[in-house]
Amino acid sequence: MAALAAAVAALVLSACGGSSSSSGGGGSSSSGGGGGESENTVEIEFWHGQNERIAQVLDEMIEEFEESHPHVVVSKDAGGVSSDRMRQKVTAGLQADDVPDIAYIFGSDLASFAQTEKLANLSEAVENGEIDWNNFVPVAQEAATVDGEPRAFPSLVDNLAVVYNKKIFKEEGVAFPPNEMSWEEFLKIAEEVNNPSKGIAGWAWPGTGDEDTTWRIWPLVWQKGGEVLNEDGNGVGFEGEPGEAALEVVQKGTEAGTIYIDGTAGSERMQQLFNSEKLAMNITGPWALVEYLEAGVEYGVTLLPSFTDEHTTISGPDTWAIFDNGEEREHAAIEFLDWFSEPDQQLKWLEVSGSLPLTKDIGKAPGYAKFQNSIPGLKAFIDNTANAKTRPTVTSYPEISTAMGKAIGEVLYKKSDAQQAVESAVSEANKELELGG
Amino acid sequence: MAAGATIGRRGRRPAAERPAASAPPRPFVQRVLGEHPTALLFIAPAVIVIVGLSVVPIFWTIILSFKSSDLITPARWIGTANYKALQHDPAFGEAIKHTLIYTAIFVPVSTALGLLLAMALNRQIRFIGIYRTALLAPFIVAITAQGVLFSYIFDERFGVANAMLDKLGLPTQGFLGDPSQAIYVIALIGIWGGVGFPLVVYLAALQDVPGELIDAASVDGARRWAILRHVILPQLWPVTIFLLVWQFLQALQLFELIYATTRGGPIESTVTIVYYIFHEAFQVFHAGYAAAVAVIVGVFLVLLAAVQFGFNAFRRRAAA
Repeated sequence: MAALAAAVAALVLSACGGSSSSSGGGGSSSSGGGGGESENTVEIEFWHGQNERIAQVLDEMIEEFEESHPHVVVSKDAGGVSSDRMRQKVTAGLQADDVPDIAYIFGSDLASFAQTEKLANLSEAVENGEIDWNNFVPVAQEAATVDGEPRAFPSLVDNLAVVYNKKIFKEEGVAFPPNEMSWEEFLKIAEEVNNPSKGIAGWAWPGTGDEDTTWRIWPLVWQKGGEVLNEDGNGVGFEGEPGEAALEVVQKGTEAGTIYIDGTAGSERMQQLFNSEKLAMNITGPWALVEYLEAGVEYGVTLLPSFTDEHTTISGPDTWAIFDNGEEREHAAIEFLDWFSEPDQQLKWLEVSGSLPLTKDIGKAPGYAKFQNSIPGLKAFIDNTANAKTRPTVTSYPEISTAMGKAIGEVLYKKSDAQQAVESAVSEANKELELGG
Repeated sequence: MAAGATIGRRGRRPAAERPAASAPPRPFVQRVLGEHPTALLFIAPAVIVIVGLSVVPIFWTIILSFKSSDLITPARWIGTANYKALQHDPAFGEAIKHTLIYTAIFVPVSTALGLLLAMALNRQIRFIGIYRTALLAPFIVAITAQGVLFSYIFDERFGVANAMLDKLGLPTQGFLGDPSQAIYVIALIGIWGGVGFPLVVYLAALQDVPGELIDAASVDGARRWAILRHVILPQLWPVTIFLLVWQFLQALQLFELIYATTRGGPIESTVTIVYYIFHEAFQVFHAGYAAAVAVIVGVFLVLLAAVQFGFNAFRRRAAA
């Protein structure tokens, strides 16, 4: 009964929010000890939360895995929800003490799950060599680490770069942006290519003030030596120069009128404008390339501009979290994900998921070279991975994000200047951090 | 079967008309579970569903509001701290302000507009069915779709609305991209989608106004305005109260439209109370705090509904 009540509570909360109907119920499959016929067979639940196209590929891979690993059976039900609702579903599962063995968890949510005892700690498996941790690229490792301990397998990495519309540049008679430019140069180019009479904007920034607005500012902060969180973790790390310099770039964009503020939810408008030749430069991730390609846009990719020589960018990574349902199942889950991290499987995964390479030995997969060039510009993003950092995996991040998002909004809409906005964001975020989230 | 004979007017069975003492005492089961114990069995599925999906969550939310919880880690009991913090939360104050602005525009305008349109449509003219359907259509369009549609129309740089203003030689506006305008634009969209319900209700109510009353009034020399003022409007009064309360409830629960258009932006200028609950619960994961807001809103909505009940009861008594 307690379990039911908990699930219902999770449901009602989302109902209170009024958001579209929650899908908490979705088929609780054969968990809880129904371990199959043979004594040695272990059954694990795999909530990957992917759409049908990707699920189909995953299903094929699972069958392949089961053939070579006959003692493990992996479920194929996706978890009943898409990945963006996985946090809620797993949360409800935690209350009901019925969690999957593997779930697709956003990097930003991993720290919260790490507070529970149910999230497996992979330290031991890494130490004894069960997991080849060093094979993951640094940014992927970072994303799956909480408080210095590996708590999940990386499932996806991306990063931000500048994608520019070649046709607009040609029409406006402006030279293509160089691969490595400073923010100063970037703003100047934006001004040159900006053409209000034709409805062409130089560049764009999401203006809703949520995480979509916030996360793009962090690379600028990092480039200036700032951090999201200070070393002790008791305050923000972007006060003064790093925060101000970052927001000044946005401020200069609004003052010059080169920036298109995308006030729509999910910042889809920016992508559409780029597709319809109304946006000259877009700071975006590799996921957008497929869309541009389909729309027939002629584009180029350059590194994210910088204040220094290092073109630090940001990665918004996701993870495969393993939950503790007993040692046997945990080992089976690790075995599956370890197999999944091998070059051949990884390549298949990259091709469907749109992720950038997660593992260093991916090059061993035949066909990887072809993959790199399958989409124009993809290689630039792949090379960029070395410059990428991730947001800290801490539970207080959402509060910091809210404060920073508001500051960016104030600058975008000219309600305050960079210095003021950073000051109020710092004091607001620090107040929340003091309260202890 | 003594009971069958005593079921009186309106199905009520006043105590005085109960079977006399001569009837044999009822068995224990009937005394505890009522006259027809099996009836409980029949309603049990519905009761379980209602209790499970409505009552339990309500109590759960109330309990949650006294805790500090991110829904993942074990919750901590913190007493009334959430409610105390709410008193000094400027963001909550802003959310209330935005909600009240929206409500103050949406409720009277959508209701009055509904009445006007209903009167315009309450006549026998050609193609009336088409007009009625056209005006009702927005009511049927999903709110999320409305949001997406209008976010295109009111786009600052590329929207149709600004293109038209420009053609007319008027200054273009920020609309949803202007922190000082956004909530009003939201109200406008809300009215567009929300006028259909009052329209339908008024249309039905207008057709219920007895023709004899209007005939009698015009025989007595009343002109159109006087008929409207003294005959029709008084007849519509109960419906109007219902609609005002209903639209009020809708306005206070504004969420989907915000979610689909501005996500609370620009600069938190369209954060309504329910959007604030969503933000606190599912974006920064202060579930206990969000529950406290939900409880306060819930109490307020119950009070509002009580007003409507009270009014109806008052009317019934006055009529009797």
